[in-house]
Amino acid sequence: MKQKEKGPALTRRAFIKSTGAACAMLFVAGSLPSLVRPAAAAPNEKNINDVLKKQFGNKNVSMSHVDIKAPIIAENGAVVPITITSDLPMRSDDYVKKINVYAEGNLEPYVAGIDLTPANGKAEFAMRIKMRKTSNVRVVLETSKGQLYGAAKAVKVTVGGCGG
Amino acid sequence: MASVGKIKIRVPNTIKKGDVIPVQVLVSHPMETGMRKNKDGSVIPAYYINDVDVFYGNDKITHCDWTIAVSANPFITFYVKADKAAPIKIVYKDIKGGVYEQAVQISPQ
Repeated sequence: MKQKEKGPALTRRAFIKSTGAACAMLFVAGSLPSLVRPAAAAPNEKNINDVLKKQFGNKNVSMSHVDIKAPIIAENGAVVPITITSDLPMRSDDYVKKINVYAEGNLEPYVAGIDLTPANGKAEFAMRIKMRKTSNVRVVLETSKGQLYGAAKAVKVTVGGCGG
Repeated sequence: MASVGKIKIRVPNTIKKGDVIPVQVLVSHPMETGMRKNKDGSVIPAYYINDVDVFYGNDKITHCDWTIAVSANPFITFYVKADKAAPIKIVYKDIKGGVYEQAVQISPQ
């Protein structure tokens, strides 16, 4: 407001200053969206590694035998269809006991736990989950023998799905 | 919502004995997270299904433990080894004490 009164030179300087700042901000926001957004929105987000450690201790999770089918880009974060498949056997002495599903970007990353039995015949489960923002979907399978198998898949979310 | 707890189950038309069949189940439920707000700014209280049991005959074959991050109107697909003629029953329980169940008869040839 004051600058207007002081003449054209200052106005132009002020203009360049402000547009320059805006450009710089756009550049930062554009190049680092993943760093800019959570800082503003999620003060109490839980780290996925802490969650996994709490649940499984220091057990080793081998990243094999599990496949996650999920869209690369989910237009609506409130409905992200995922299918978890595993080629692990479902025999009565050796079967997939539990499927744990996590969405890393959610405030509470644990999404669901599914207990299976040999009567399922096949370690496959499909469901639709909510994702707050672009992040990994992570799955950890527990077998009846106590081994852990995992997989992770990145899903890009254009509209978050946990409301607010 | 009037239709909360309405369940639809879909199984294959013809089932051979010993086949591993897909079972698709849709249940109507708002699955409110407790984080969303009304237009007037008040928080919509959490209301979601947190417990799912699937029975095949008398045996419990699958159990799900859900949180708020399961989408509204949950649609799931799981597999069952059809080795006997028995009903598949699915039971949903939500955090307000609602229990919704439905069964479908499986008769493998």
